Amino acid sequence: MSWIESLSYPFMQHALVAVLFAGIAFPLVGVFIISLNLIPLRFAMMHIALLGGAVGLFVQVDPMLMGLLFCALSALTLGPISEKTKISLGTISGYFMTLTLALSFILFYKGNINVIQAFSILWGNIFALTAWDLVIIGIVSLFVLSMIFLFFKEIQAILFDREIALAVGIPEKSLYYLIVFMLGLTIAVSMRMIGALLVDAFVLLPAMAAGMIARSLKQSFILSSFFGLVSGMSGLYLSFRFDMPASSTIILVASFIIALCMLFGRRLVSHAKA
Amino acid sequence: MHHSIDLVDIHVKLGDVQVLSGVSVEAKPYEFVSLVGSNGAGKTTLLKVANGMVRPFKGMVKMLGHELWPAGNGNGNGVRKEVGFVPQRSISNRFPMRVNEAVLMGRYGKIGLMRKPSRQDWDKTREALEIVGMTGFANKLIHELSGGEQQKVALARALAQEPSILLLDEPTTYLDADSQSEIMETIYTMHQQRGLTTLLVTHDPHWVEQYSNKVYLLKDGKSHLIRQKA
Ligand SMILES: Nc1ncnc2c1ncn2[C@@H]1O[C@H](COP(=O)(O)OP(=O)(O)OP(=O)(O)O)[C@@H](O)[C@H]1O
Ligand SMILES: [Mg+2]
Repeated sequence: MSWIESLSYPFMQHALVAVLFAGIAFPLVGVFIISLNLIPLRFAMMHIALLGGAVGLFVQVDPMLMGLLFCALSALTLGPISEKTKISLGTISGYFMTLTLALSFILFYKGNINVIQAFSILWGNIFALTAWDLVIIGIVSLFVLSMIFLFFKEIQAILFDREIALAVGIPEKSLYYLIVFMLGLTIAVSMRMIGALLVDAFVLLPAMAAGMIARSLKQSFILSSFFGLVSGMSGLYLSFRFDMPASSTIILVASFIIALCMLFGRRLVSHAKA
Repeated sequence: MHHSIDLVDIHVKLGDVQVLSGVSVEAKPYEFVSLVGSNGAGKTTLLKVANGMVRPFKGMVKMLGHELWPAGNGNGNGVRKEVGFVPQRSISNRFPMRVNEAVLMGRYGKIGLMRKPSRQDWDKTREALEIVGMTGFANKLIHELSGGEQQKVALARALAQEPSILLLDEPTTYLDADSQSEIMETIYTMHQQRGLTTLLVTHDPHWVEQYSNKVYLLKDGKSHLIRQKA
Protein backbone atom coordinates (compact mmCIF):
# COMPACT_ATOMS: atom_id res chain seq x y z
CA MET A 1 0.00 0.00 0.00
CA SER A 2 1.49 3.35 -0.95
CA TRP A 3 1.24 6.54 1.10
CA ILE A 4 -1.32 7.98 -1.35
CA GLU A 5 -3.39 4.82 -1.30
CA SER A 6 -3.34 4.77 2.46
CA LEU A 7 -5.03 8.17 2.47
CA SER A 8 -8.22 6.57 1.21
CA TYR A 9 -8.57 4.64 4.46
CA PRO A 10 -10.66 6.27 7.20
CA PHE A 11 -8.14 5.43 9.95
CA MET A 12 -5.46 7.32 8.04
CA GLN A 13 -7.73 10.26 7.31
CA HIS A 14 -8.67 10.42 10.96
CA ALA A 15 -5.04 10.36 12.02
CA LEU A 16 -4.23 13.18 9.59
CA VAL A 17 -7.09 15.37 10.75
CA ALA A 18 -6.12 14.75 14.37
CA VAL A 19 -2.50 15.68 13.74
CA LEU A 20 -3.57 18.77 11.81
CA PHE A 21 -5.58 20.07 14.77
CA ALA A 22 -3.48 18.80 17.64
CA GLY A 23 -0.16 19.54 15.96
CA ILE A 24 -1.11 23.20 15.80
CA ALA A 25 -2.97 23.63 19.08
CA PHE A 26 -1.36 21.32 21.64
CA PRO A 27 2.21 22.65 21.50
CA LEU A 28 0.72 26.03 22.49
CA VAL A 29 -0.16 24.40 25.79
CA GLY A 30 3.45 23.23 25.95
CA VAL A 31 4.47 26.90 26.01
CA PHE A 32 2.27 27.32 29.12
CA ILE A 33 3.75 24.25 30.79
CA ILE A 34 7.30 25.47 30.26
CA SER A 35 6.72 29.10 31.22
CA LEU A 36 4.65 28.33 34.32
CA ASN A 37 6.45 25.20 35.48
CA LEU A 38 3.38 22.99 35.31
CA ILE A 39 4.98 19.63 34.58
CA PRO A 40 3.72 17.99 37.83
CA LEU A 41 0.19 18.91 36.82
CA ARG A 42 0.60 16.95 33.64
CA PHE A 43 1.53 13.83 35.65
CA ALA A 44 -1.45 14.31 37.93
CA MET A 45 -3.72 14.53 34.89
CA MET A 46 -2.40 11.24 33.61
CA HIS A 47 -3.36 9.47 36.85
CA ILE A 48 -6.68 11.25 37.07
CA ALA A 49 -7.48 9.99 33.59
CA LEU A 50 -6.64 6.49 34.80
CA LEU A 51 -9.04 6.86 37.72
CA GLY A 52 -11.72 8.13 35.34
CA GLY A 53 -11.14 5.09 33.16
CA ALA A 54 -11.35 2.77 36.16
CA VAL A 55 -14.63 4.34 37.24
CA GLY A 56 -15.88 4.03 33.67
CA LEU A 57 -15.08 0.32 33.57
CA PHE A 58 -16.57 -0.11 37.03
CA VAL A 59 -19.93 1.46 36.16
CA GLN A 60 -19.73 0.32 32.53
CA VAL A 61 -19.58 3.70 30.83
CA ASP A 62 -17.08 4.41 28.03
CA PRO A 63 -13.81 4.63 30.02
CA MET A 64 -12.28 7.15 27.62
CA LEU A 65 -15.18 9.54 28.06
CA MET A 66 -14.98 9.11 31.84
CA GLY A 67 -11.25 9.80 31.74
CA LEU A 68 -11.85 13.02 29.84
CA LEU A 69 -14.63 14.05 32.18
CA PHE A 70 -12.45 13.45 35.25
CA CYS A 71 -9.60 15.45 33.75
CA ALA A 72 -11.89 18.32 32.83
CA LEU A 73 -13.38 18.42 36.32
CA SER A 74 -10.03 18.32 38.08
CA ALA A 75 -8.56 20.87 35.70
CA LEU A 76 -11.39 23.17 36.74
CA THR A 77 -10.86 22.60 40.47
CA LEU A 78 -7.10 22.08 40.97
CA GLY A 79 -6.22 25.75 40.38
CA PRO A 80 -8.74 27.12 42.88
CA ILE A 81 -7.90 24.40 45.44
CA SER A 82 -4.23 25.31 45.25
CA GLU A 83 -5.04 29.03 45.68
CA LYS A 84 -7.37 28.47 48.63
CA THR A 85 -5.10 26.11 50.52
CA LYS A 86 -1.97 28.09 49.58
CA ILE A 87 -0.32 24.82 48.62
CA SER A 88 1.55 24.90 45.35
CA LEU A 89 -0.01 23.35 42.30
CA GLY A 90 2.96 20.99 42.12
CA THR A 91 2.36 19.62 45.62
CA ILE A 92 -1.39 19.35 45.11
CA SER A 93 -0.72 17.51 41.86
CA GLY A 94 1.55 15.04 43.62
CA TYR A 95 -1.11 14.46 46.25
CA PHE A 96 -3.80 13.80 43.66
CA MET A 97 -1.48 11.61 41.66
CA THR A 98 -1.01 9.17 44.55
CA LEU A 99 -4.59 9.38 45.78
CA THR A 100 -6.11 8.67 42.37
CA LEU A 101 -3.74 5.79 41.77
CA ALA A 102 -4.76 4.21 45.10
CA LEU A 103 -8.46 4.70 44.33
CA SER A 104 -8.00 3.21 40.86
CA PHE A 105 -6.46 0.05 42.29
CA ILE A 106 -9.30 -0.33 44.79
CA LEU A 107 -11.76 -0.11 41.91
CA PHE A 108 -9.77 -2.63 39.83
CA TYR A 109 -9.85 -5.02 42.76
CA LYS A 110 -13.48 -4.54 43.76
CA GLY A 111 -14.75 -4.50 40.20
CA ASN A 112 -12.69 -7.44 39.07
CA ILE A 113 -11.37 -5.25 36.28
CA ASN A 114 -8.65 -6.42 33.99
CA VAL A 115 -5.78 -4.08 34.83
CA ILE A 116 -4.36 -4.25 31.34
CA GLN A 117 -7.68 -3.14 29.94
CA ALA A 118 -7.77 -0.21 32.36
CA PHE A 119 -4.25 0.90 31.58
CA SER A 120 -5.02 0.81 27.87
CA ILE A 121 -6.59 4.21 28.51
CA LEU A 122 -3.08 5.48 28.91
CA TRP A 123 -1.84 3.92 25.72
CA GLY A 124 -3.63 5.75 22.98
CA ASN A 125 -3.44 4.91 19.32
CA ILE A 126 -3.44 7.53 16.65
CA PHE A 127 -4.72 5.01 14.08
CA ALA A 128 -7.71 4.02 16.20
CA LEU A 129 -9.43 7.40 16.41
CA THR A 130 -13.17 7.48 15.87
CA ALA A 131 -15.11 10.35 14.33
CA TRP A 132 -16.26 11.19 17.85
CA ASP A 133 -12.60 11.46 18.98
CA LEU A 134 -11.95 13.85 16.13
CA VAL A 135 -14.82 16.06 17.21
CA ILE A 136 -13.38 16.23 20.72
CA ILE A 137 -9.86 16.92 19.45
CA GLY A 138 -11.23 19.61 17.14
CA ILE A 139 -13.23 21.30 19.89
CA VAL A 140 -10.34 21.31 22.36
CA SER A 141 -7.94 22.61 19.71
CA LEU A 142 -10.23 25.43 18.64
CA PHE A 143 -10.90 26.27 22.28
CA VAL A 144 -7.18 26.60 23.03
CA LEU A 145 -6.55 28.64 19.89
CA SER A 146 -9.42 31.03 20.49
CA MET A 147 -8.54 31.60 24.16
CA ILE A 148 -4.99 32.49 23.20
CA PHE A 149 -6.25 34.77 20.48
CA LEU A 150 -8.77 36.53 22.75
CA PHE A 151 -6.56 36.89 25.83
CA PHE A 152 -3.16 37.16 24.23
CA LYS A 153 -1.95 40.23 26.06
CA GLU A 154 -3.12 38.99 29.46
CA ILE A 155 -1.59 35.56 28.88
CA GLN A 156 1.64 37.23 27.85
CA ALA A 157 1.70 39.17 31.11
CA ILE A 158 0.95 36.07 33.21
CA LEU A 159 3.63 33.97 31.56
CA PHE A 160 6.10 36.81 32.02
CA ASP A 161 5.38 37.35 35.72
CA ARG A 162 2.19 36.40 37.54
CA GLU A 163 2.69 38.97 40.27
CA ILE A 164 3.17 41.85 37.86
CA ALA A 165 0.16 40.73 35.84
CA LEU A 166 -1.92 40.84 39.01
CA ALA A 167 -0.45 44.18 40.06
CA VAL A 168 -1.43 46.01 36.86
CA GLY A 169 -5.07 45.02 37.34
CA ILE A 170 -5.45 41.96 35.12
CA PRO A 171 -7.89 39.29 36.43
CA GLU A 172 -4.86 37.09 36.85
CA LYS A 173 -6.44 34.33 38.91
CA SER A 174 -9.32 33.58 36.57
CA LEU A 175 -7.01 33.55 33.58
CA TYR A 176 -4.51 31.32 35.36
CA TYR A 177 -7.32 28.87 36.10
CA LEU A 178 -8.28 29.02 32.46
CA ILE A 179 -4.72 28.08 31.51
CA VAL A 180 -4.77 25.14 33.94
CA PHE A 181 -8.11 24.07 32.50
CA MET A 182 -6.80 24.14 28.91
CA LEU A 183 -3.80 22.16 30.05
CA GLY A 184 -5.94 19.44 31.64
CA LEU A 185 -8.15 19.07 28.58
CA THR A 186 -5.21 18.98 26.22
CA ILE A 187 -3.36 16.35 28.23
CA ALA A 188 -6.46 14.14 28.43
CA VAL A 189 -7.12 14.35 24.71
CA SER A 190 -3.55 13.86 23.65
CA MET A 191 -3.30 10.77 25.86
CA ARG A 192 -5.99 9.26 23.69
CA MET A 193 -4.06 10.19 20.57
CA ILE A 194 -0.52 9.35 21.39
CA GLY A 195 -0.46 7.59 24.78
CA ALA A 196 0.29 8.94 28.22
CA LEU A 197 3.97 8.16 28.15
CA LEU A 198 4.52 10.18 25.02
CA VAL A 199 2.24 13.12 25.73
CA ASP A 200 5.06 15.23 27.10
CA ALA A 201 6.94 14.77 23.92
CA PHE A 202 4.06 15.73 21.69
CA VAL A 203 2.98 18.71 23.77
CA LEU A 204 6.34 19.82 25.15
CA LEU A 205 9.01 19.15 22.54
CA PRO A 206 7.79 21.62 19.90
CA ALA A 207 7.41 24.27 22.61
CA MET A 208 10.91 23.57 23.90
CA ALA A 209 12.32 23.91 20.40
CA ALA A 210 10.45 27.17 19.90
CA GLY A 211 11.68 28.48 23.25
CA MET A 212 15.26 28.07 22.10
CA ILE A 213 14.98 30.51 19.24
CA ALA A 214 11.92 32.69 19.89
CA ARG A 215 12.44 36.37 20.70
CA SER A 216 8.84 37.02 21.82
CA LEU A 217 5.81 35.12 23.06
CA LYS A 218 4.13 35.49 19.68
CA GLN A 219 7.13 33.84 18.06
CA SER A 220 7.08 31.08 20.70
CA PHE A 221 3.46 30.33 19.92
CA ILE A 222 3.81 30.46 16.15
CA LEU A 223 7.02 28.43 16.06
CA SER A 224 5.75 25.77 18.47
CA SER A 225 2.63 25.29 16.35
CA PHE A 226 4.74 25.13 13.23
CA PHE A 227 7.11 22.57 14.76
CA GLY A 228 4.16 20.59 16.13
CA LEU A 229 2.55 20.43 12.72
CA VAL A 230 5.78 19.56 10.93
CA SER A 231 6.76 16.83 13.39
CA GLY A 232 3.21 15.44 13.47
CA MET A 233 2.77 15.30 9.72
CA SER A 234 6.23 14.12 8.79
CA GLY A 235 6.25 11.69 11.73
CA LEU A 236 3.03 10.19 10.48
CA TYR A 237 4.41 9.87 6.98
CA LEU A 238 7.74 8.39 8.05
CA SER A 239 6.10 5.92 10.42
CA PHE A 240 4.02 4.70 7.52
CA ARG A 241 6.90 4.70 5.08
CA PHE A 242 9.28 2.75 7.34
CA ASP A 243 6.69 0.80 9.32
CA MET A 244 7.46 2.24 12.74
CA PRO A 245 5.14 3.15 15.65
CA ALA A 246 3.59 6.53 14.83
CA SER A 247 3.99 8.18 18.24
CA SER A 248 7.65 7.27 18.49
CA THR A 249 8.34 8.49 14.98
CA ILE A 250 6.62 11.81 15.66
CA ILE A 251 8.82 12.21 18.71
CA LEU A 252 11.95 11.35 16.77
CA VAL A 253 11.19 14.13 14.32
CA ALA A 254 10.41 16.56 17.16
CA SER A 255 13.69 15.67 18.87
CA PHE A 256 15.53 16.26 15.63
CA ILE A 257 13.94 19.72 15.39
CA ILE A 258 15.06 20.45 18.94
CA ALA A 259 18.61 19.48 18.07
CA LEU A 260 18.51 21.85 15.09
CA CYS A 261 17.15 24.66 17.24
CA MET A 262 19.88 24.08 19.80
CA LEU A 263 22.53 24.51 17.15
CA PHE A 264 20.83 27.45 15.52
CA GLY A 265 19.82 29.02 18.84
CA ARG A 266 23.35 28.91 20.13
CA ARG A 267 24.56 30.60 17.00
CA LEU A 268 21.98 33.34 17.55
CA VAL A 269 23.26 33.86 21.07
CA SER A 270 26.91 34.05 20.08
CA HIS A 271 26.09 36.53 17.33
CA ALA A 272 24.27 38.67 19.83
CA LYS A 273 27.33 38.67 22.08
CA ALA A 274 29.82 39.42 19.33
CA MET B 1 -12.02 59.63 44.48
CA HIS B 2 -9.72 60.13 47.44
CA HIS B 3 -6.23 59.13 46.43
CA SER B 4 -5.54 57.90 49.91
CA ILE B 5 -4.01 54.85 51.52
CA ASP B 6 -5.61 53.63 54.76
CA LEU B 7 -4.16 50.60 56.44
CA VAL B 8 -5.61 50.06 59.90
CA ASP B 9 -4.47 47.51 62.50
CA ILE B 10 -3.21 45.07 59.87
CA HIS B 11 -2.43 41.50 60.99
CA VAL B 12 -0.80 39.12 58.52
CA LYS B 13 0.41 35.55 58.80
CA LEU B 14 2.62 34.02 56.12
CA GLY B 15 2.78 30.29 56.64
CA ASP B 16 3.25 29.89 60.39
CA VAL B 17 4.97 33.23 60.86
CA GLN B 18 3.00 36.20 62.04
CA VAL B 19 4.68 38.95 60.06
CA LEU B 20 2.47 41.90 60.91
CA SER B 21 0.58 42.22 64.18
CA GLY B 22 -1.18 45.53 64.30
CA VAL B 23 0.28 47.84 61.66
CA SER B 24 -1.41 51.11 60.78
CA VAL B 25 -0.18 53.32 57.97
CA GLU B 26 -2.00 56.26 56.51
CA ALA B 27 -1.19 58.38 53.48
CA LYS B 28 -3.51 61.27 52.69
CA PRO B 29 -3.98 62.39 49.10
CA TYR B 30 -0.75 63.79 47.56
CA GLU B 31 1.36 62.76 50.53
CA PHE B 32 4.78 61.16 50.17
CA VAL B 33 5.13 58.54 52.88
CA SER B 34 8.21 56.44 53.59
CA LEU B 35 8.42 53.07 55.25
CA VAL B 36 11.65 51.93 56.86
CA GLY B 37 12.67 48.89 58.88
CA SER B 38 15.23 46.13 58.98
CA ASN B 39 15.30 43.13 56.65
CA GLY B 40 12.35 40.87 57.24
CA ALA B 41 10.39 43.55 59.12
CA GLY B 42 7.44 43.10 56.77
CA LYS B 43 7.73 46.13 54.49
CA THR B 44 7.22 44.21 51.26
CA THR B 45 4.36 42.30 52.85
CA LEU B 46 2.65 45.55 53.83
CA LEU B 47 2.89 46.96 50.29
CA LYS B 48 1.27 43.77 49.00
CA VAL B 49 -1.48 44.12 51.57
CA ALA B 50 -2.04 47.65 50.29
CA ASN B 51 -2.75 46.56 46.74
CA GLY B 52 -4.73 43.50 47.73
CA MET B 53 -2.16 40.85 46.84
CA VAL B 54 -1.78 39.61 50.42
CA ARG B 55 -4.81 39.10 52.67
CA PRO B 56 -4.67 40.28 56.26
CA PHE B 57 -6.54 38.05 58.70
CA LYS B 58 -7.45 41.07 60.75
CA GLY B 59 -7.58 44.80 60.10
CA MET B 60 -8.90 47.10 57.41
CA VAL B 61 -7.47 48.04 54.01
CA LYS B 62 -8.92 51.05 52.27
CA MET B 63 -7.42 52.32 49.02
CA LEU B 64 -8.72 55.31 47.02
CA GLY B 65 -11.70 55.35 49.36
CA HIS B 66 -12.56 51.78 48.39
CA GLU B 67 -12.50 49.16 51.13
CA LEU B 68 -10.48 46.18 49.91
CA TRP B 69 -10.59 44.30 53.17
CA PRO B 70 -12.63 43.05 54.95
CA ALA B 71 -15.63 44.51 53.05
CA GLY B 72 -14.29 44.13 49.51
CA ASN B 73 -13.21 40.57 50.26
CA GLY B 74 -9.90 41.18 48.52
CA ASN B 75 -11.58 41.90 45.20
CA GLY B 76 -9.06 44.43 44.01
CA ASN B 77 -8.67 44.46 40.23
CA GLY B 78 -10.46 47.80 39.96
CA VAL B 79 -8.19 49.31 42.61
CA ARG B 80 -5.02 47.75 41.21
CA LYS B 81 -5.59 49.49 37.87
CA GLU B 82 -5.13 52.75 39.79
CA VAL B 83 -2.15 51.58 41.85
CA GLY B 84 1.33 51.45 40.36
CA PHE B 85 3.48 48.79 42.02
CA VAL B 86 7.25 48.57 41.61
CA PRO B 87 8.38 45.25 43.11
CA GLN B 88 11.63 44.80 44.98
CA ARG B 89 13.04 41.86 43.07
CA SER B 90 14.15 41.97 39.47
CA ILE B 91 13.02 39.57 36.75
CA SER B 92 14.30 36.08 37.38
CA ASN B 93 13.01 34.12 34.38
CA ARG B 94 14.19 34.21 30.80
CA PHE B 95 10.80 34.76 29.24
CA PRO B 96 11.38 36.49 25.90
CA MET B 97 9.97 39.99 26.03
CA ARG B 98 11.11 43.35 24.78
CA VAL B 99 11.51 46.32 27.09
CA ASN B 100 8.76 48.34 25.41
CA GLU B 101 6.32 45.41 25.70
CA ALA B 102 7.21 45.05 29.39
CA VAL B 103 6.39 48.72 29.91
CA LEU B 104 3.23 48.59 27.80
CA MET B 105 2.07 45.87 30.18
CA GLY B 106 1.41 48.61 32.74
CA ARG B 107 -1.51 49.64 30.54
CA TYR B 108 -3.05 46.16 30.21
CA GLY B 109 -5.38 46.42 33.21
CA LYS B 110 -6.79 49.73 32.05
CA ILE B 111 -7.10 48.65 28.42
CA GLY B 112 -9.34 45.79 29.53
CA LEU B 113 -9.92 42.26 28.29
CA MET B 114 -10.13 41.42 24.59
CA ARG B 115 -8.91 44.85 23.50
CA LYS B 116 -5.72 45.74 21.70
CA PRO B 117 -3.38 48.50 22.91
CA SER B 118 -4.10 51.74 21.06
CA ARG B 119 -1.62 54.25 19.71
CA GLN B 120 -2.18 56.28 22.88
CA ASP B 121 -1.07 53.32 24.97
CA TRP B 122 2.13 53.10 22.95
CA ASP B 123 2.67 56.86 23.30
CA LYS B 124 2.41 56.56 27.07
CA THR B 125 4.85 53.66 26.96
CA ARG B 126 7.39 55.72 25.03
CA GLU B 127 6.90 58.67 27.34
CA ALA B 128 7.47 56.52 30.43
CA LEU B 129 10.65 55.04 28.96
CA GLU B 130 11.88 58.55 28.27
CA ILE B 131 11.15 59.70 31.81
CA VAL B 132 13.35 56.95 33.29
CA GLY B 133 16.01 57.46 30.60
CA MET B 134 15.62 54.05 28.97
CA THR B 135 14.47 55.06 25.48
CA GLY B 136 17.54 53.52 23.90
CA PHE B 137 16.66 50.12 25.37
CA ALA B 138 13.11 49.89 23.99
CA ASN B 139 13.81 46.97 21.68
CA LYS B 140 16.18 45.00 23.90
CA LEU B 141 15.10 41.77 25.55
CA ILE B 142 14.36 42.42 29.19
CA HIS B 143 16.27 39.46 30.60
CA GLU B 144 19.37 40.74 28.85
CA LEU B 145 19.34 43.94 30.92
CA SER B 146 21.25 44.55 34.15
CA GLY B 147 19.44 44.58 37.50
CA GLY B 148 19.46 48.37 37.64
CA GLU B 149 18.16 48.71 34.10
CA GLN B 150 15.37 46.26 34.89
CA GLN B 151 14.46 48.33 37.91
CA LYS B 152 14.12 51.43 35.73
CA VAL B 153 11.89 49.44 33.38
CA ALA B 154 9.71 48.41 36.32
CA LEU B 155 9.34 52.06 37.30
CA ALA B 156 8.51 52.95 33.69
CA ARG B 157 5.79 50.29 33.73
CA ALA B 158 4.25 51.82 36.84
CA LEU B 159 4.40 55.31 35.27
CA ALA B 160 2.88 54.13 31.98
CA GLN B 161 -0.01 52.79 34.01
CA GLU B 162 -0.84 56.39 35.06
CA PRO B 163 -1.94 55.41 38.55
CA SER B 164 -3.17 57.67 41.33
CA ILE B 165 -1.13 55.81 43.93
CA LEU B 166 2.47 54.63 43.67
CA LEU B 167 3.81 51.78 45.81
CA LEU B 168 7.58 51.57 45.52
CA ASP B 169 9.55 48.72 47.08
CA GLU B 170 13.18 49.83 47.30
CA PRO B 171 13.12 51.08 43.71
CA THR B 172 16.78 52.03 43.67
CA THR B 173 18.53 49.03 45.29
CA TYR B 174 20.31 47.91 42.13
CA LEU B 175 21.23 51.39 40.93
CA ASP B 176 24.62 53.10 41.08
CA ALA B 177 24.93 56.27 43.16
CA ASP B 178 24.29 58.70 40.28
CA SER B 179 21.30 56.78 38.98
CA GLN B 180 19.95 56.55 42.50
CA SER B 181 19.65 60.29 42.89
CA GLU B 182 18.44 60.67 39.31
CA ILE B 183 15.67 58.12 39.73
CA MET B 184 14.66 59.35 43.18
CA GLU B 185 14.39 62.86 41.79
CA THR B 186 12.37 61.54 38.86
CA ILE B 187 10.03 59.78 41.27
CA TYR B 188 9.57 62.90 43.34
CA THR B 189 8.96 65.06 40.27
CA MET B 190 6.32 62.59 39.04
CA HIS B 191 4.79 62.52 42.51
CA GLN B 192 4.33 66.29 42.41
CA GLN B 193 3.53 66.81 38.73
CA ARG B 194 0.96 64.06 38.56
CA GLY B 195 -0.48 64.63 42.01
CA LEU B 196 0.23 61.11 43.25
CA THR B 197 0.03 59.58 46.68
CA THR B 198 3.27 57.69 47.19
CA LEU B 199 4.31 54.99 49.63
CA LEU B 200 8.04 54.29 49.41
CA VAL B 201 9.98 51.48 51.07
CA THR B 202 13.61 52.47 51.42
CA HIS B 203 16.76 51.97 53.45
CA ASP B 204 18.23 55.31 52.39
CA PRO B 205 18.00 57.91 55.19
CA HIS B 206 18.91 60.71 52.81
CA TRP B 207 15.74 60.42 50.72
CA VAL B 208 13.62 59.80 53.76
CA GLU B 209 14.76 63.15 55.19
CA GLN B 210 14.42 65.10 52.02
CA TYR B 211 11.02 64.15 50.62
CA SER B 212 8.77 62.43 53.10
CA ASN B 213 5.73 63.99 54.68
CA LYS B 214 5.71 61.06 57.08
CA VAL B 215 8.02 58.22 57.97
CA TYR B 216 6.88 54.95 59.49
CA LEU B 217 9.17 52.41 61.08
CA LEU B 218 8.17 48.74 61.02
CA LYS B 219 9.52 46.77 63.95
CA ASP B 220 8.47 43.54 65.62
CA GLY B 221 5.29 43.44 63.58
CA LYS B 222 4.19 46.92 64.68
CA SER B 223 4.32 50.33 63.02
CA HIS B 224 5.69 53.50 64.58
CA LEU B 225 5.23 56.96 63.14
CA ILE B 226 8.76 58.27 63.67
CA ARG B 227 8.68 61.50 61.73
CA GLN B 228 6.07 63.91 60.47
CA LYS B 229 6.59 67.17 58.63
CA ALA B 230 4.55 70.00 59.91
N1 LIG C 1 5.68 33.31 51.47
C1 LIG C 1 6.18 33.41 52.73
N2 LIG C 1 5.97 32.42 53.63
C2 LIG C 1 6.47 32.52 54.89
N3 LIG C 1 7.16 33.58 55.32
C3 LIG C 1 7.39 34.59 54.47
C4 LIG C 1 6.91 34.57 53.12
N4 LIG C 1 7.30 35.70 52.51
C5 LIG C 1 7.99 36.40 53.44
N5 LIG C 1 8.04 35.75 54.61
C6 LIG C 1 8.68 36.22 55.85
O1 LIG C 1 7.98 37.35 56.28
C7 LIG C 1 8.87 38.29 56.84
C8 LIG C 1 8.66 39.66 56.20
O2 LIG C 1 9.06 39.61 54.84
P1 LIG C 1 9.11 40.92 53.93
O3 LIG C 1 9.52 40.51 52.58
O4 LIG C 1 7.82 41.63 54.06
O5 LIG C 1 10.26 41.76 54.66
P2 LIG C 1 10.91 43.14 54.22
O6 LIG C 1 10.70 44.10 55.34
O7 LIG C 1 10.41 43.56 52.88
O8 LIG C 1 12.44 42.77 54.16
P3 LIG C 1 13.60 43.31 53.16
O9 LIG C 1 14.12 44.59 53.73
O10 LIG C 1 14.64 42.25 53.24
O11 LIG C 1 13.02 43.44 51.80
C9 LIG C 1 10.25 37.73 56.66
O12 LIG C 1 10.65 37.20 57.91
C10 LIG C 1 10.09 36.65 55.65
O13 LIG C 1 10.98 35.61 55.90
MG1 LIG D 1 11.22 43.74 51.06
